[in-house]
Amino acid sequence: MSPPALIIRGLAIREGHGALVVAGVDLEVEAGGTLVLIGETGSGKSLIAQAVMGLLPQGFAASGTIAINGHAPVDAGQAGLLRLFWSRETMLLPQEPRAALDPTMRIGRQLFERTRQNDAVAALQAVGLAPEIAQAYPPMLSGGMAQRVLVASVLVGRAPLLIADEPSKGLDSERLGQTRDLLLSLGQAGRALLVITHDIALARALGGRLAVLREGRIVEQGESAAVFAAPRQSYTRAWIEADPSRWRPSLRCCAVDAPVLAGHGLRFGFRDRPALFEGLDIHVPRGGVLALTGPSGCGKTTLGNILLGLQAPDAGQVSWAGCDPYRDRAALKRLRRRYQKLHQDPASVFLPGRSTGLQLADLKEVAPELDLARDLPPLLERLRLDPRLLRRQAGEVSGGEAQRLALARILLMKPELIVADEPTSRLDPLVQRETIALLREIVAGEGVGLVLIGHDRALLAATADDVITIGR
Amino acid sequence: MRPALTLLGSRAAQAALTAWLLATLCFGFIHALPGDMALRIAAARVGDERVTVETTERIRREEGLDRPLAVQYAAWLSRVATGDLGQSLVSRQPVRQEIAYHGRFTLGLGALGWLVSYLIALPLGIACGFAPGGWLDRVTTGIAVALASLPSFLVGIGLISVFALSLRWLPPAGYRTGAHMVLPALTLALGLAAFSVRIIRNAVVEVRGAFYMTFARIRGRSAASAFRHHGVRNAAIPVATFAALQFAYMVDGFVVVEMLFNYPGLGELLVKALLARDVPVVMGAGLVIGLVYAGVNLLADLACLALDPRQAARFPA
Amino acid sequence: MSGQAVSERIRTRAERGDRLKAGLALPLVLLAAVAGLALFGPLLSPHDPTAQDLLHALEGPSLAHPLGTDHVGRDVFARLAHGAGRSLGIALACVGAATGLGLGLGLIAAYAGRWSDMAIMRLADLMLAFPGILLALVISGFLGGGVLPMLIGIKLTLWPQFARMARAIAQGELKEPHVEAARLAGFPARTLLIRHVLPAVLRQTTTLATLGLGAAIMSISALGFLGLGLQPPTPEWGAMISELLPYISEAPVQMAAPCLAIFISVLGATLLGQVLSEPDSGQEAER
Repeated sequence: MSPPALIIRGLAIREGHGALVVAGVDLEVEAGGTLVLIGETGSGKSLIAQAVMGLLPQGFAASGTIAINGHAPVDAGQAGLLRLFWSRETMLLPQEPRAALDPTMRIGRQLFERTRQNDAVAALQAVGLAPEIAQAYPPMLSGGMAQRVLVASVLVGRAPLLIADEPSKGLDSERLGQTRDLLLSLGQAGRALLVITHDIALARALGGRLAVLREGRIVEQGESAAVFAAPRQSYTRAWIEADPSRWRPSLRCCAVDAPVLAGHGLRFGFRDRPALFEGLDIHVPRGGVLALTGPSGCGKTTLGNILLGLQAPDAGQVSWAGCDPYRDRAALKRLRRRYQKLHQDPASVFLPGRSTGLQLADLKEVAPELDLARDLPPLLERLRLDPRLLRRQAGEVSGGEAQRLALARILLMKPELIVADEPTSRLDPLVQRETIALLREIVAGEGVGLVLIGHDRALLAATADDVITIGR
Repeated sequence: MRPALTLLGSRAAQAALTAWLLATLCFGFIHALPGDMALRIAAARVGDERVTVETTERIRREEGLDRPLAVQYAAWLSRVATGDLGQSLVSRQPVRQEIAYHGRFTLGLGALGWLVSYLIALPLGIACGFAPGGWLDRVTTGIAVALASLPSFLVGIGLISVFALSLRWLPPAGYRTGAHMVLPALTLALGLAAFSVRIIRNAVVEVRGAFYMTFARIRGRSAASAFRHHGVRNAAIPVATFAALQFAYMVDGFVVVEMLFNYPGLGELLVKALLARDVPVVMGAGLVIGLVYAGVNLLADLACLALDPRQAARFPA
Repeated sequence: MSGQAVSERIRTRAERGDRLKAGLALPLVLLAAVAGLALFGPLLSPHDPTAQDLLHALEGPSLAHPLGTDHVGRDVFARLAHGAGRSLGIALACVGAATGLGLGLGLIAAYAGRWSDMAIMRLADLMLAFPGILLALVISGFLGGGVLPMLIGIKLTLWPQFARMARAIAQGELKEPHVEAARLAGFPARTLLIRHVLPAVLRQTTTLATLGLGAAIMSISALGFLGLGLQPPTPEWGAMISELLPYISEAPVQMAAPCLAIFISVLGATLLGQVLSEPDSGQEAER
């Protein structure tokens, strides 16, 4: 039996002279086996991948040993020695595939220069790309295509150990599936894989072994199937349950109230291109949740903006409790504050350089009836927000806190409808679950209508009363 | 090929607009000057003492100065458009001839200054880019900032007082021999290099830090091979773009440098014409400078297009 | 983002503030020296900067004339001090006017879009088609030098950069979620522009304005040197240098003084611009 592809012993990573950010990590990847390392943002998982490649950012120092493909163990602090393994023994599938390619050189010359023509064509076909792509320049490729091109270049290379750093970051569900299949095919081709991710569904699909990282330490590790079936640590259990496919569907809404938002025969398209959607009818009752989904670029964000009165549709009508905001100026002015949006990047909803508290107070300029002293404290308590956070800027709070602050800002305006545009796609699974639960609670408690835009079908199915898919 | 044509079109439009604005400006100035236009021309042609009412009136008719202003403007524009720039009011020479004579000198000086500036800036900038923060980088940055804070006439005065007055190695002014070119060209080159050395250094630093360089090495290239294959071309893009912008600095530079060194180039011609209110010459010199600027911009655009496939997307067919 | 990353970001902000303060010291001292010369110099010197005294021409430094006298016996220190006010004042006026015009037009172009955007940007392109100070040269030359033509000429060469930059920043800023959120809350266009867009525009154009100040000082002195700027006998640094050039060997101190003054003020402005433009280097590594 061939030696393990990777043995990490006692790996510790220190930042500057200060804190240990990764400590006592022991990991092993069998030859041709798969190990998925899962953890929250800031848990140190990417640092482990960087340490193995000898690519730790400046200011970080590693100790411990790393043994690769049966070679003698190397001190993890000797980045120079680890770099000697590049290309022959280890290969990286980078987080941002497009940044890894020289924008001024054709794919073929760049990646397949030393490969025989037939091998290159076969590798490209294996990842579902036409051979002509070798003539393209990297900026012409989408992120997904760039990733496939890189996988093809790995297929023609020799390195037995592949390290994939967050391969699913920022992908929609369709591309997520492609990425999963690519990684599985690399595993089937006999390569050993170390996959770093925070995506539970991806970890489950890849199988192999699973290690759960929390604050720089491994809290649980074992056969993937066994860990998913019977997690021993409560932290692991919370993680697995945070996967939307495990959520219990919420109770269906039964209100047959007059709709708080409706759209009839909506059409929108960019000039000279076929319409993104056409003849679309939408109906959101009070306390109801409607989900909008579809692949990237299908126009779901635009549809959200049309419903919010931000962008007129090419055809059709929007109705805010019976008034059309695009035709009835008075209604638009009167109802403006009642139709609100929860953004994908919560921190960016607040003006940088001004504390969030001051920005909540600014709302009095447009909502004279607002009484912060009366309305704010109970709201903060309900959203579990520390009042001291209001003294900070939005960039200085965590992602989950920022999203709850953004929610507080909207709720101060007493909304009747909220369009939430991928409100949790940048949050870790645990925080995502908490935030969605909070949203549901508010929808049910206040009788607010919710339009939830997203790409995670499992999440939408578990949260919404009705799902509309746009495009294709 | 299509993007190149689009570029050519937009730069030609830029040149045409420059020419139109300059011609209009000059026309406006001529007519805004106080006093009778015909009288001024007459005085310029025959001398102040010998001007008579008859000559003035004849000139007024001949030159069409009695026509409405709009008609005169149209006639003026069509003359400029056909390349007829008229005669210098001072030397009576055709403006084209004057420009051809002085342009030669400026061309030589500019080319030499440009060449010397890159002889200085390229090796220095690349060396600094390979060791950012090192002593060479810090010293070069300091000198470059200081040089960039000096108007070119101060650089020139400094060079004159050292090399011409103290050391007496080189002549302080004039244009007859090659030695006369050294100080003006060096003045120009130092001013240009002060900026380009930073651009080159930053381009090299940026490219060396780009992830595609690291990734090329992960794929098995050596550091030197990665820089040759992926570094040089990417670093050249911002440098080529900047080279065109630098032409704008060149204009400030050679106008002042030529005056300082008494060097008979276009800049000197322009300033002397301005001081003498010699409108046709001012317009001619201005036109040539503006058109050459548009041409230099076009060349830089084409260079970037050849270097950078992303640029093609900026000019959709 | 973990709590650790958050506290790090707060720390980085504080550190950046400290570094900024340290970097500001030198440029501010340089600029303060020039401003001090402009404000107090005329009070310190009893001499009229234009009073000729041919008997005492080209004298070296003395108690009566700390920087000596020029070729017609005028006190160089008095001329330097009076020139400082002019150079700085005109440069500030040029940059102020160019910033105001550029930011105003840039914001209008970004907010209104369509044809006003087209018109403003084409106009800016037209101005940028003139290399360097050519336009300022022609305008000052024809109008016979003096403050106003110079101001117009330099302002015309500077504003397009401000307009372009302001437009680009404002366009980016208008797409930010915080602008959309403010619009959804019902804030009027005025508030959007002033509170949400203008601060970002100002923050990023400060550098340009500071560098523009240096460029304006250089242009003013270059025009003066060429004889196309402020007309004699007005004390102006560039003109002083040009007048003294024939006597460079006899009057090195008198010559060096205005040279140094130009150098210090431009260096101060350039360094200030560089310090202000230093990018936020507090990018944290993703773990």
